[in-house]
Amino acid sequence: MHKTRGQRVGLAVLGIAATVFFFFPTYWMITTALKTPAQILSPDYDLIPLSVTFDNFASAFGKDGFTSFLTNSLIVTLGSVAVALAAGLLAAVPLARMRFRGRKGFVLLVLIAQLAPLEALFVPLYLIMRDANLLDKLPSLLLVYVAFTLPFTVWTLRGFVKGIPVELEEAAMVDGCGRWGVFRRVTLPLLGPGLVATSVFSFVTAWNEFLFALVFIRDKGNQTLPVWLSSFRTAFGTDWGGIMAASVIYAVPALVFFMFVQRKLVSGATAGAVKG
Amino acid sequence: MMAPALVFLVALLGWPALQVVFISFRELNLGELVRGEVIWTGFDNYVEVLSDPEFWTITLRTVVFTTGVVAATVLLGLGLAVLMRHLSRGVRMALQISLVLAWATPIIATTTVFQWMFDQQYGILNKTLVLLGFESYSGHSWFSTGASTLTVIGLLVCWQAVPFVAFTLYAGLLGASKDLYEAASIDGATGWQAFRAVSWPALRPVLAIVVFLSVLWDFKVFTQVWAIRQGGPDGQSTTLPVLLYLKGISGSGFGVAAAVAVLMLIVLVLVTWRYMRLLVRSQETEL
Repeated sequence: MHKTRGQRVGLAVLGIAATVFFFFPTYWMITTALKTPAQILSPDYDLIPLSVTFDNFASAFGKDGFTSFLTNSLIVTLGSVAVALAAGLLAAVPLARMRFRGRKGFVLLVLIAQLAPLEALFVPLYLIMRDANLLDKLPSLLLVYVAFTLPFTVWTLRGFVKGIPVELEEAAMVDGCGRWGVFRRVTLPLLGPGLVATSVFSFVTAWNEFLFALVFIRDKGNQTLPVWLSSFRTAFGTDWGGIMAASVIYAVPALVFFMFVQRKLVSGATAGAVKG
Repeated sequence: MMAPALVFLVALLGWPALQVVFISFRELNLGELVRGEVIWTGFDNYVEVLSDPEFWTITLRTVVFTTGVVAATVLLGLGLAVLMRHLSRGVRMALQISLVLAWATPIIATTTVFQWMFDQQYGILNKTLVLLGFESYSGHSWFSTGASTLTVIGLLVCWQAVPFVAFTLYAGLLGASKDLYEAASIDGATGWQAFRAVSWPALRPVLAIVVFLSVLWDFKVFTQVWAIRQGGPDGQSTTLPVLLYLKGISGSGFGVAAAVAVLMLIVLVLVTWRYMRLLVRSQETEL
């Protein structure tokens, strides 16, 4: 379809407007973090920072235990990614390759669990963690995050395993590979994109998770970043530069992970939900 | 091989899912919990929740909020997906990068930025409105009423949710073969006709999934609502997930909270029932 010059300009204007709309908060977060307090609170209208300072980052890192909250978040997130990936992969292979009683039912439950609002389970989970004496401890969060990301992990990896032709694995067997050898030499390398997509999903889920971190962890020393950052008024008052610097630091790991696999995540999410 | 996954799923999803139903039929407050008492009270918790007019206000508010956010998200996402197909390479790349940034920024980081932009005294929004001549917005508080607070929260949720919808629909659009568009063009179809005859059939199934997922996700939004004003002012921006938290944790009324959770699940299942059945049926051959 050929467009007139006017149409092309109109489309470009719309596209740029949308770009600005979606880019502005990120821009504002970063530039505010770089401004001096005087400039942030000045009544002047300034969209562009006039001077650049890194003081806000220093003050964010200096706030009551910021580094320990950052560490807590990293431990819980990376730990749950590793466990969910290992457990999910172990389950995905037999679910895709073997026939056994109860398989269909199990896969169906995994599909439903993936969609269910698991937040509704916080009362029983709170009581379970209380009985297990895990409240106020990081493992409580790690365990719950694994459970929450497993359905998606199992479902997606099962789809990827199914996508690998059985003939490839059989050929390896003919060539003298054992079951483990086939898995390590054939299946695992071909699962690369699936493993990347599921680990990013787990990472983003755990890194963002708020409700359970709020419910399980009352002891301030064991808090995770999102909960601490949400109550920024207690730590920062109206030091918006510090708040934005802390937000930037919190956002960077997620951005890095995300940029890395954006395309795969889109196809992975829909492939998992629709085609299996 | 399935043992580790099974243990997690049974112990931390399956068992709690049964427990939440059991607990909803028990009287379980802090006292009972500490003493380890098990008191069955039948439907008392449900009667208490359902006879509270506030519960109905909050349910209605949650449904309106979800509907608004889903509609805005899907329409904006659809618009952007179509737009992306028609943009020149450079602008499209810029748009996609800004969408990925919006998508990837952690929820709470975006929430704090929105609080900063909507700040009463120094926020850039009020400053801009004043600059444009709307003097009355100088020092305007966006969080003084429930409706205004929820609108800001809705905008925040929408801003974070649109990228996924836009990219998914865009992928769906690309799924329609180029030949079809060419054929439509040769037959003299206008842009709108080509959209209806070629793009729409490719989009429809993807659109259904996206609406379904958005309903599920937006209905249970807790983080943003809690972080912005904790359901305030005066409980006016409290939605069902916030009510669940307030009853359960702040009020230590575990039995009542469990009843709210079960009711919330029932509402959600009712709303998504038709699509849920379609989805399960479409998967049956695959299982």
